[in-house]
Amino acid sequence: MSPVQKRIFINKLALIFSTLSAIIALAFLFWILGVLVMKGLSALNWNIFIYEGAPPGYEESGLKHALVGQLILVGMATGVGVPLGILAGTYLSEYGKNSKLANTIRDISDIMMSAPSIVIGAFVYAIVVLPMGHFSAWAGSIALGIIMIPIILRTTDDMLQLVPGTLREAAFALGAPKYKVILNVVYRGAKAGILTGVLLGVARVAGETAPLLFTSFNDNFFTTDLSQAMPSLTVTMFNYATSPYEDWQQLGWAAAFILSMFILGLNILGRLILLSTKKGK
Amino acid sequence: MASIIDIKGECALHVRNFDFTYKGATAPSLKKISMPIAKNSITALIGPSGCGKTTLLRSFNRMHDLYPGNKYEGEILFDGRNILDPKEDLIHLRTRIGMIFQKPTAFPMSIYDNVAYGLRLKGIKNKSELDGRVEKALQDAAIWKETQDRLKHDANGLSGGQQQRLCIARAIAVEPEVLLFDEPTSALDPISTQGIEKLVIELKEKVSIIIVTHNMQQAARVSDYTGFMYLGDLIELGYTEELFVTPKEKLTQEYITGKFG
Repeated sequence: MSPVQKRIFINKLALIFSTLSAIIALAFLFWILGVLVMKGLSALNWNIFIYEGAPPGYEESGLKHALVGQLILVGMATGVGVPLGILAGTYLSEYGKNSKLANTIRDISDIMMSAPSIVIGAFVYAIVVLPMGHFSAWAGSIALGIIMIPIILRTTDDMLQLVPGTLREAAFALGAPKYKVILNVVYRGAKAGILTGVLLGVARVAGETAPLLFTSFNDNFFTTDLSQAMPSLTVTMFNYATSPYEDWQQLGWAAAFILSMFILGLNILGRLILLSTKKGK
Repeated sequence: MASIIDIKGECALHVRNFDFTYKGATAPSLKKISMPIAKNSITALIGPSGCGKTTLLRSFNRMHDLYPGNKYEGEILFDGRNILDPKEDLIHLRTRIGMIFQKPTAFPMSIYDNVAYGLRLKGIKNKSELDGRVEKALQDAAIWKETQDRLKHDANGLSGGQQQRLCIARAIAVEPEVLLFDEPTSALDPISTQGIEKLVIELKEKVSIIIVTHNMQQAARVSDYTGFMYLGDLIELGYTEELFVTPKEKLTQEYITGKFG
């Protein structure tokens, strides 16, 4: 074999191996999605949205309690996490810049982002659940909010820094005070990026189970009482799927399917928003 | 010794013994600059890269204050007051001394909102007054014809030259007394450049203009006075026709004949 033929051979080999690896990696993803769609779709029916949890064997049992609980928990977490995350990110990019304090906050938030979520659950258990004496939706939302903050903080920081400095200068040159420069020029320029960060942050906490086990725990019945334990799709899914009852297992699949589609939807929406602004430029 | 002409007419600004030092620098970037800026005229600042012409320009509206740690010494007199005074109201100052940047800086909003931005900052809310002043500014910036049918469209959809004229419209909408141009055509094609130059000349009826340019022909075409700067010094300020034909300083002579720069 001549040296050139040898190089062509090695090149082909590398191509084959990397393509195979990519296919194997993707295969698992499609396998998971495939099983989920098959089992989940067959478990779906209108009763799921109409009825709350019931003992095994009951015809009229559904996931209404978990769906509403999930929306309340994630909604409240978003209400806390998004403003805090965006304001903190604004501080980093527009006020702290490269100061020691700002860089320390960035490092800490990176560590928080990779902290196991169960640790945050245990933390909220210690500071909220123990003093209150019982599980509550408040505690669950606080745990999810804490997980959400560093994600939104970092994307906001990054997206604001992408806004060209000359745009800020131009606004200042017209006599705008700093808060107006940030509010109506910098935020506008980074709108799509910040929105994407928010969607990804929401998607991330929507799939959390561990922190909720310690905080909002679970309940098999419909409730909107925020000071009591609250059901969520994830914990309900965990309980139903590990139960010995066939009809509960079916509901577990349905919960998994609904949750995955919700998160997939948020992710796709985030991508679409980013894509549409790139096309605009 | 620098050769600075006396200006017979009224002056918009007076720079006196002005030193500027960037944060962390040991030596000043501008050294003992003294010059008058004539009213309702165009003063061009030329010189090789790094000579301090943009640094000087950005001192007139205290742009350097956005980055803490920079130091001004000396005086820039505007309307009898030293604008370098730490107590100077920068928001007010910047509505009287506007600026156009090297790259067009259209805000991510509609054409109308871009021009109305400065007006709204001034507290003008009345819709018909806003409409009138936006239209007038766009007309004065010679971009009304192209934009009147799409005022609500995103300003980023305009071409580079149109965006630069939009920025000029935005700056003149608040009726400043002085306009600072920082190489306003360096990012534009020759035809757009011609349009901007024509516009700058028309604008001097209403405002006093200082323009920094890399392009000596541009300085010769548009300006009434030209200042030549080198390594942080103002070497010469003269009538544009005289400076380019019979410069008084040897350095100016060498620069305009292309011996360096």
